[in-house]
Amino acid sequence: MKQTLNWQIAAIKDIKPETAKVKSFTLTLPAWMRHRAGQHYDIRLTAEDGYQAQRSYSIASEPEREGEVDITVERIHDGEVSTYMHEVLVPGDRIEARGPIGGYFVWEASMVEPLLLIAGGSGVVPLMSMIRHRAAVGAKNPTSLLYSSRDFDDIIYYNELEKLRTASNGVQVLHTLTRSQPPGWKGYARRIDPEMLKEVAQPLGKSVQAFLCGPTLLVEAVANALVKIGIKSDQIRTERFGPTGG
Amino acid sequence: MEERTDINRELMLDANATAGVLYEIFGVEMTASPTECANCGNEGEIGGLLAFVQGPGIVLRCSACENVVLRIVQTPEAVYLDARGAVYLRLAR
Repeated sequence: MKQTLNWQIAAIKDIKPETAKVKSFTLTLPAWMRHRAGQHYDIRLTAEDGYQAQRSYSIASEPEREGEVDITVERIHDGEVSTYMHEVLVPGDRIEARGPIGGYFVWEASMVEPLLLIAGGSGVVPLMSMIRHRAAVGAKNPTSLLYSSRDFDDIIYYNELEKLRTASNGVQVLHTLTRSQPPGWKGYARRIDPEMLKEVAQPLGKSVQAFLCGPTLLVEAVANALVKIGIKSDQIRTERFGPTGG
Repeated sequence: MEERTDINRELMLDANATAGVLYEIFGVEMTASPTECANCGNEGEIGGLLAFVQGPGIVLRCSACENVVLRIVQTPEAVYLDARGAVYLRLAR
């Protein structure tokens, strides 16, 4: 697919805190192009002396929203770009953006197979774009999200996920909290392991399409475990973001 | 589950993350394009290669045998591309 992809000046329309370390930014784009769920934008900052820093951020919003996208950004300790975005940017500011880009980690509602989404931390962001896309078009394929966070307060999009979970044709949403759990917690309370993956993946059957996004070690371990429980590697798409990202 | 503690491994990404750089070089979206590893013959999409981006250049390795498929070094004047590890690259028209 040929597309013209240039740097453009995006305006910050809105900033929404998601958790203590995570904010969503709504960007208005003069040369908006419809994205595919799972794609990202490159964001570039230029200092007065010409020094540039560039990072990729996953799109969180559904493709059906025209003219703008949400990106959800976790503030990384000492991260050049994420710290600037969190601490300096205010609505009305402008930043350079290039996208949408990335054709590999993409789900579209025309893919009718059952969908298995597995996220660690802010790895939920591109998967949220897929879930929102699925809801926007009314897709009915069985879909499960297994989402690992450290603590309850670290869960991004919790309320929206609860709504989607209880909607008709909704998404099965399973949380695991690896560090601490609130009183009465009914979800998982450990790192994702093969037993947990079996419980989540097997009801979806053999034709499942899996998308994994999170820290590199989590993605590696989960991808290996999925292959061991019989899911073919070409049914598994991964997006690792490493322990840093800036 | 096994976990490796090798620092390069921890910093590893998927080549999907280098979509912007690949677009700059080739002028088309590359991550969904197929390629073949010259070492082991594994075929797959470029976005599924393993990406090592923390060094001065970008190294993309085969996800099956981990041989180097592409090396990219960007300087202010030029881009250096070493594609010896790929049997072919496909650029969509």
